[in-house]
Order: sequence, then structure tokens, then C-alpha cells
Amino acid sequence: MSSTNDVGSCCTRRSFLGATLSIASVASASLLLSGHIAAGNKPPQSKLRTYNGGTDPYPIPWLDKNGSHNQPAGPQLEPSHIYHFKGQVARCADFVGMGTDNKGNRIAFGTPTTDYGFMQGEYLAGRTSQTGEFTHI
Amino acid sequence: MVPIPKGGLIISSDGKTATLQMENVAVVDQPKWPALDAVGTPAIMSFKMTWKATNEKINYDDPQKQFRVEGYSATAQLEAQVKVPSIGFSWKSDPLSASHANFGIIGYEVNGRYYSPMK
Repeated sequence: MSSTNDVGSCCTRRSFLGATLSIASVASASLLLSGHIAAGNKPPQSKLRTYNGGTDPYPIPWLDKNGSHNQPAGPQLEPSHIYHFKGQVARCADFVGMGTDNKGNRIAFGTPTTDYGFMQGEYLAGRTSQTGEFTHI
Repeated sequence: MVPIPKGGLIISSDGKTATLQMENVAVVDQPKWPALDAVGTPAIMSFKMTWKATNEKINYDDPQKQFRVEGYSATAQLEAQVKVPSIGFSWKSDPLSASHANFGIIGYEVNGRYYSPMK
């Protein structure tokens, strides 16, 4: 069966589903955007505002030193990407599968770092409990 | 990490199976990741993923790192479609049943302020 080397440079470099982590930057951008928009809605100056921080989840401090909410999946490793969290979690990694591109080339997907997961539950942020559902893809 | 839209995640009442489905998620195709010079290209991904618990129980408890997980080893499967419009590339996986993950876990976790050591 055709490997990734058979399908030209466009696809040989495609380890995607290892494109995993990059979503964090997209999410960050959108969060920044919301913050920017929110900045325009200034409260009246007469009101004293308490800054409790954002409601975004904390990353796991010792696993995720760059704050990207991303760490490997595996035995004895923490499944959650969120610190101060309780709830349902699932993780998986090291996928094996195949697919077809728009030129009919068969391309495998999955590497040991191709990991996915979700967290559904309660977490602490902004000095109070929040609830949410998040995925890492 | 991104929020899951309402209805995107379905977990069974016993917590042993889950299905995550999302459409048109903005991602970055970064084939050379984690190389420092890895170039990222905007891409769109739709996918469906399932987890099913096996009979193998998992119990992690780490007082130093303040986390505990109680759950099961799981099988996981994925089907996905990806489009990278700027280079005219798209890709679609074989059906869900044709894939598998070599590692999977599903369960319940507490960490940080919600963690208390087992007595």
C-alpha cells in the first residue's frame, strides 16, 4: 500500500492529526480576540471593578510549562490538560489508520504524538468554580 | 484545547463510552511540528471519535502531583476529514471502524484543589 512517500511533497510532510497541538494557538487567538472586544465594553468609571482573572482553565503546571494545555498521553500520566479540575476525562494516542486525499492517494495517519482527549466537569478559574467541556485535538 | 460545542460530546450514563463529534474546527496544519521552524497553515477539521471502556481497570493516584484517576483502559476509534484550502488539499479517513489507537483511557479525574490523598 502506498506510504506517505508515494504521494508527492504535498503529502509526504503530512503527519497531520499530528497537527494536534496547533489548535491551541487558534484557540488562544480567539480568546485574545474576545478579550480585545470585551475591552471596548468598559464599565462606568464610578464602579469599582475586581479583577479575578479570566475563566480560562489553568494548564497543568509541571507538565505544561509553556501554558499550551498540552502534554503527552500514556500510562500513569495525567489525562486532564486542566489543573484544579474534577470530572470525566478520556485520552487516546498512537492512532493507526488510513485515508484518501483529494487526488486519490492513500495516506496513513497517526503517530505516537497523535493524541486526543476531552475533559468535562468542574474547574477553578477566576477565583470560582466553572463548568465546561473541552477537547484537545 | 478548545471548548466543545453543545451536543458535541455524549457520555453514557455509566461513563464507560463516549462519542465526540465536531464539525469545521479551525486547526493549523503543521507537518513539521515540533520543529522550531515548522510552518503552520490554516486548516479545517471535522471528526468523530469514540472511546469504549475495556474490563481493565485503571487507578492512578499521585499525591505529589495531586491527581487521581479512576477509570478503565479504553479502545478508541477515529474518523476525520481535513481541508487545507490554501494549498487545495483535502483528506478523508476510512470509516471509524477501520482505525484504532494503541493507547486509550476513560474515567474520572480529580486534581489540584479538588484532590485529597487517599486514606
